[in-house]
Amino acid sequence: MTVKDSKFVAAESMNPYEKPPSMSVMQSIRTFIYNRQTGAFMGRTASSWGKIGLFYLIFYGVLAALVAICFWGFFQTLDPRKPTWQLERSIIGTNPGLGFRPMPPSANVESTLIWYKGSQRENFKHWVESLEKFLEVYIKPGLTPGRGANIHNCDYNQLPASGQVCDIDVKNWDPCIVENSFNYHKSAPCIFLKLNKIYGWVPEFYNDTETLPQKMPRELKEYIHSLKISDPRQLNTIWVSCEGENPADQENIGPVHILPRRGFPGYFYPYENSEGYLSPLVAVHFERPRSGILINVECKAWARNIHHSRNDKLGAVHFELLID
Amino acid sequence: MASKGKLATEHGRSDSYRVATLPNIRDDNKTADGLFKSRRKNPKRKGDNLDDLKQELDIDFHKISLEELYQRFSTHPENGLSHAKAKENLERDGPNALTPPKQTPEWVKFCKNLFGGFALLLWIGAILCFIAYSIQASTSEDPNDDNLYLGIVLAAVVIVTGIFSYYQESKSSKIMESFKNMVPQFATVLREGEKLTLRAEDLVLGDVVEVKFGDRIPADIRIIESRGFKVDNSSLTGESEPQSRSPEFTNENPLETKNLAFFSTNAVEGTAKGVVICCGDQTVMGRIAGLASGLDTGETPIAKEIHHFIHLITGVAVFLGVTFFLIAFILGYHWLDAVIFLIGIIVANVPEGLLATVTVCLTLTAKRMASKNCLVKNLEAVETLGSTSTICSDKTGTLTQNRMTVAHMWFDNQIIEADTTEDQSGVQYDRTSPGFKALAKIATLCNRAEFKSGQDGEPILKREVNGDASEAALLKCMELALGDVMGIRKRNKKVCEVPFNSTNKYQVSIHETDDPNDPRYLLVMKGAPERILDRCSTIFIGGKEKVLDEEMKEAFNNAYLELGGLGERVLGFCDFMLPSDKFPIGFKFNSDDPNFPCEGLRFVGLMSMIDPPRAAVPDAVAKCRSAGIKVIMVTGDHPITAKAIAKSVGIISEGNETIEDIAQRLNIPVSEVNPREAKAAVVHGTELRELNSDQLDEILRYHTEIVFARTSPQQKLIIVEGCQRMGAIVAVTGDGVNDSPALKKADIGVAMGIAGSDVSKQAADMILLDDNFASIVTGVEEGRLIFDNLKKSIAYTLTSNIPEISPFLAFILCDIPLPLGTVTILCIDLGTDMVPAISLAYEEAESDIMKRQPRNPFTDKLVNERLISMAYGQIGMIQAAAGFFVYFVIMAENGFLPTTLFGIRKMWDSKAVNDLKDSYGQEWTYRDRKTLEFTCHTAFFVSIVIVQWADLIVCKTRRNSIIHQGMRNWALNFGLIFETALAAFLSYTPGMDKGLRMFPLKFVWWLPALPFMLAIFIYDETRRFYLRRNPGGWLEQETYY
Repeated sequence: MTVKDSKFVAAESMNPYEKPPSMSVMQSIRTFIYNRQTGAFMGRTASSWGKIGLFYLIFYGVLAALVAICFWGFFQTLDPRKPTWQLERSIIGTNPGLGFRPMPPSANVESTLIWYKGSQRENFKHWVESLEKFLEVYIKPGLTPGRGANIHNCDYNQLPASGQVCDIDVKNWDPCIVENSFNYHKSAPCIFLKLNKIYGWVPEFYNDTETLPQKMPRELKEYIHSLKISDPRQLNTIWVSCEGENPADQENIGPVHILPRRGFPGYFYPYENSEGYLSPLVAVHFERPRSGILINVECKAWARNIHHSRNDKLGAVHFELLID
Repeated sequence: MASKGKLATEHGRSDSYRVATLPNIRDDNKTADGLFKSRRKNPKRKGDNLDDLKQELDIDFHKISLEELYQRFSTHPENGLSHAKAKENLERDGPNALTPPKQTPEWVKFCKNLFGGFALLLWIGAILCFIAYSIQASTSEDPNDDNLYLGIVLAAVVIVTGIFSYYQESKSSKIMESFKNMVPQFATVLREGEKLTLRAEDLVLGDVVEVKFGDRIPADIRIIESRGFKVDNSSLTGESEPQSRSPEFTNENPLETKNLAFFSTNAVEGTAKGVVICCGDQTVMGRIAGLASGLDTGETPIAKEIHHFIHLITGVAVFLGVTFFLIAFILGYHWLDAVIFLIGIIVANVPEGLLATVTVCLTLTAKRMASKNCLVKNLEAVETLGSTSTICSDKTGTLTQNRMTVAHMWFDNQIIEADTTEDQSGVQYDRTSPGFKALAKIATLCNRAEFKSGQDGEPILKREVNGDASEAALLKCMELALGDVMGIRKRNKKVCEVPFNSTNKYQVSIHETDDPNDPRYLLVMKGAPERILDRCSTIFIGGKEKVLDEEMKEAFNNAYLELGGLGERVLGFCDFMLPSDKFPIGFKFNSDDPNFPCEGLRFVGLMSMIDPPRAAVPDAVAKCRSAGIKVIMVTGDHPITAKAIAKSVGIISEGNETIEDIAQRLNIPVSEVNPREAKAAVVHGTELRELNSDQLDEILRYHTEIVFARTSPQQKLIIVEGCQRMGAIVAVTGDGVNDSPALKKADIGVAMGIAGSDVSKQAADMILLDDNFASIVTGVEEGRLIFDNLKKSIAYTLTSNIPEISPFLAFILCDIPLPLGTVTILCIDLGTDMVPAISLAYEEAESDIMKRQPRNPFTDKLVNERLISMAYGQIGMIQAAAGFFVYFVIMAENGFLPTTLFGIRKMWDSKAVNDLKDSYGQEWTYRDRKTLEFTCHTAFFVSIVIVQWADLIVCKTRRNSIIHQGMRNWALNFGLIFETALAAFLSYTPGMDKGLRMFPLKFVWWLPALPFMLAIFIYDETRRFYLRRNPGGWLEQETYY
C-alpha cells in the first residue's frame, strides 16, 4: 500500500528511496503471516481485511445479480418442450446414431464390451439386470408420466395424431424376454438397439426396392424384396442390420435375428417430445456366437437420410461381444 | 556473431587489431606455454577485482635505467629485437590485443530463452501431454490424438517464442558491431636494425617502436627519444590537456611520469621512439578494460520486475495445478485425467504470449529511442533510465561541446564576451578597434594550428583542426572574426619560431609584416598571462601605447582573476615591432638561442577559453530536476572549471552555495560553516580519497547538488557504489576508458557514440549517438512511459487468465463438459491478445511523467497485488461470467439446459456412449456432442475477445477517463479490429473445425457477452472516477496499480 509514496515525497528531498531493511526469508514470511508492529495478519490488519472483504462481497453480489438477470432474460426465450434450434439449425443435425443396451457398468464408461460367462448366473447378472431396468418403462407403461393418456395403438395405416405416442408391443420379443434372462444363460444373448431421438426428424424410407444402397447386406435386401410382395405398407421402416465388423467377425458372429421386426416402424417418427413417448426398440438375438473369442459387432440403421460413418458412429453403433 | 566467425576465417589468423579483439577464439586464459595470462581472469577472485582496480598501477619500467631496460628485454635502441626473439615473445605472450570481454556462448543464450521464464512450465505441460498420449497409445488401440496434438503445439509455442526472443536479443547485441571500424592499425618497428611496418597486434615486449603525431600508441611504451612529443591521455585519465612525453623519469606514479606512453592513447604532436614494455591485456588500458568486464553488474530493474512477476504467476500456476491435481484424485478421477487437468491449468495460467509482448514493447521503445539518438544495447536497459534516480554525468563532451572555444577577451581594459554558442547567434563585438586588431593579429600569427584540408563546406566551429585545443580555439575565433587566417599568415611570413614549452610557458614567433613599406619584423608572443606580463613594459590601450604601471597591473590582475574564476583557461598576448636598424631584412633569427629581445614587449590583451556547455543541457538538467533525478557531475577536470560549468548548466542551481561560498560570504573559515546549510558541494578528488564510505554517504545524502572534480576512475566507481548503497538507481555517462568500470557498475551505463572509446561502449548499456546529455532526458521519458505501458499491457493480458482457468475448474468441480479447450486458450494468449497488448506500448502518457519522482524500486513493482486484484479478482471475474453465460446459452439452445449439464461429464466424454439424452429427450452421438462442445469453446473464445475489447479500453488509462485520454492510439484501434477479425477468421474459415476445432457460430452467439463487456467498461470508468475524486483514498490504495 505504497501508492502515495511517489506523490508525497517532497521535491525538497532529492534523495533516492531508502533501501528497506533486509530480512531473512523466514523472517519476512513470519512478518507476513503476523506483523506484531501493525497487527497485520497476512499483510492486512483486521479492518483492512474487513474493508476489502466487504468490497469484494458487494462486487461479486452485483456481478451475481447481473448474471442472474442475464439468465432470467435468456430463459424467457426458451420453450420447455421444444429446443430453440432444431435439426440442421441445431448442432445435433439430422443424422441420428444408434444406441445399444445393456451398457457396461458406469465405472467402465469408456467401454463397449459385453463380456460374460454363460455358465454362471452371477457373472451375467449385471447385463440382465441393467436390461431389466432399461425395459421396465416399456413393460410397465405407468412408469412414464403421460404415456397412459397419450398412448395410441399405432400401425402403418394408423398413424398417431399430434401429441399421441405409439404403443410398443413387448411380447413379440421372445426369446429376448426377462423371464428368459434374455437368453444370456444360453450363451446366445440379446442386445437391444434404439435409434437416437432427434426432435422433428422425419426418416426417408427405403420403400423403393430398386434403389437400395449397395452396401446394404444382401440378406436384408432380399427381405425387403419379399416384404414388398407380402405387405408393401411395412416398407416404411427404418431397417436395422447387424454384422461382424471384419471378415473374421462375420464368421464368428453366427446367425443374427432381429426382433420383433427388422427395423423401427416409421409411424414412431417424427419425435416431437410428446409426453410419454418411448423410442421403438429392436432386440438383436445372436443365436450361435462363437465363444471365447471377441466379436466386433456393427449395427446400422438404414434410411435414405441416414448416412453411415464407422468412426463417428453415425447411423450405426459398435460393440464387442465376448462370451466365455 | 556469425559475421565475426566469418571474418576470422577470411583472414586466416587475425589481420588486424580489430579482428583480433573479436571473439573468434574462445579465450582459455592461458598463454602459449600454459601459464595463466593474467590474474584478473581468475574467476574465483571476482571480489578482488575491484580492489585491484582501486590499487595504483605497480610497475617499475619507468624507474629503471635505459640500459637495464634494454637488458631486461634483450633489445637494442638502434637495432631493436631480433626476429627470432620477437617470434619467441609473440608465442609466449600472444598477440598484442585486448582480450574481448568473455561472452556467453550463443547456445547458452539460446537455451536461456528456450528454458527461461514460463518456458519451463510449458515444457512440463508438453512433456505431460506426451506422457499421457504414450500411455493412452499403449493401453488403447484407438488413442485420443488430442494430447499428442496439444503437446506438439505447446512445444512449438515454447520453441517459437524462444527463438523470437533470442532473435530480438541478438539483434540488439549486433548493434555493437556497427561501432567496430575495421581499419587495421599499423606500427613502425625496428627489428634487426631494419624499419618494419607491422600490424599492431604483432608487437611484442621489447620491440622498439617509432610513433609520430596522429598515431595511436600501439602498446605501453617507455620513451627513449622524443622531439616535442605530446600525447592525449583523455581516454585513460580524463585529462583533456595534451601532455608532453620525454625520456626523463619524473614521477613514481607510472600514470604521471613523463617517460611512459600508454596503449590506445593518441599522439597529438611530435615524434618519439620507445620500447614496448607491456602488451595486450597487460597494458594499463587492458587492465582497466578487463577489470570492467569482470565487474558484476547485477540484474536490470526491469529484469528484476519481470522475474518477480514470473515467480508470482508460476507460483499461482503451480499452486492451482497441484491443488486441483489432488482434488481430482480425491474426487476419484483416473490419474491420467488428473494429469490432463494439470496440463490444462498450466496452459490456462501461463500467459504464453506475455514475455514476447514485453520484448516487443521494449524493442519498439528501443527503436523509438534510437531515432532520438539513444541507442540501446541491452533491451532491458530501455526501462532502466526511466527508474533512474541519480545520473552521474561526465563533463567533457557530454555536458560540454568538447571543443575549446574562446569565451572572453580583455583588451582596452575591458572584458568582452566572445560568442561560444554552437550556432554563433550570440554577442557580437567591435572588430574595428585597434586593441582588437592587435590582439587578433597575435592570435592569428602566433598560432601553429591549421584547419585540416577538405572541409570547406563545414561551419567553421565544426571543422577539424591540427594542433592543440587552445590554438584550435584561437584559430576558429580568428577565422570567424577576420576570415581567411591562412591568407593573413601567408602575407605575414613567419621567419622564426620558438614553440611552447613548459619551462618558458610561452610561444613566440617573428613575422614579416604585410605592410610593404614597413621593413620591420613583428614579434608576437602568447603564453601564461603572468609570464607574458613580466616580459612587458608597456601596454596597448585605446590605440595608444602606455607605460605598464601599477594601476594597469592591477587592472590586468582583476581581469585575469575574473576570467580564471569562470573556470576559463587564460592566455596573455603581447607583441613588439623589432627596430629595423638592429634587425634588418634578412636578419638570421635563431630560435634555439634567441638573438632577439624577449623583454620589454608591448602587452596587448588576454583571451580566455572554455569548453562551453551544450545549448540543450541546462534545459535537460532542469527537466531531470523536475523529474526528481539528482544530477551529479563527475569529472577529471579542475574544480573551478567544473564548478563554472556546473553553474552554467544548472547542476548547481542559482542561489545555491557550496560550503566555500558560504564561508566567503560570511567571511569565516570553512571549518566553521555548518555543512548542512550548503546544498551544493564541490568535492575534490583528493578530499574524496580521505573519506570513508559513511562520510561519502553523508555527502551524497545531504547535498542535493554535487560536483566531483579531479576524480580518478577508481573514485568514479566509488561514487557510483555510494549512490547504489543508498538505494538509488544510477545512470553513469562517460566516454573514456577510465569511465568503463563505472559504466559497467552503474545500473545503466551510457557511453558516447562519437567521442566514446570502444572499451566504454563495450561496457555501456546505452550509447548516445550525438554525445548529448539532453538525449538522456528523452531516454528517461521513454523509460518511464514504457514502464507505465508495460503495466497496462500486463494488466490486459493477465485479465484473460481468469476466464481461461475457470472453465477447467468448473470442469473438474461441477463435472460439466469442458467450456474452453486448451487450443482455444492458446489462440487467445498467442493470437487475439497479442496485438492489443503490444499496441498498449504506443499509448500516450496520462500525465506529465517528467514531473513526478522516479519510481521507488523497492515498492513500486511492475506487477503488484493491486494489479493482480484488478485483473484476476475484478475484471477477470466479469469476463469469466461472460464466457460461462455464452456457454450455457449455447448448450441450452441446443438442448442441454444447465441443470442437465452438471454431473454429465463422464458420459459426455465417453466415446462408448452414442446416445446421450438432453433436456428435450434428444439423443446425441459422441461426435455431435463434441461438435457442440467445440462450438461452445469457440463461443467462449469469442466472448473473451468481446470482453477484452472493453478490457483493452479500460487498460488504456490507470487514472484518467477514456474520454480524457481519447482513442487516438491507432495501433490500439487496429488491435481492436484485428482481434475481432482474427476471432471471426478462426471461427468461420472452412477447415478450422479439423485444424483447431473451431466451429462457425451463429451471429446471436456473439451477443450474450455484450452486457458483460458494458459492465466492465462502466465498472472501471466508475472506479476511476472515484479514484480521481478521492486521490489517495481507500479505492486508490486497493485498486490503483
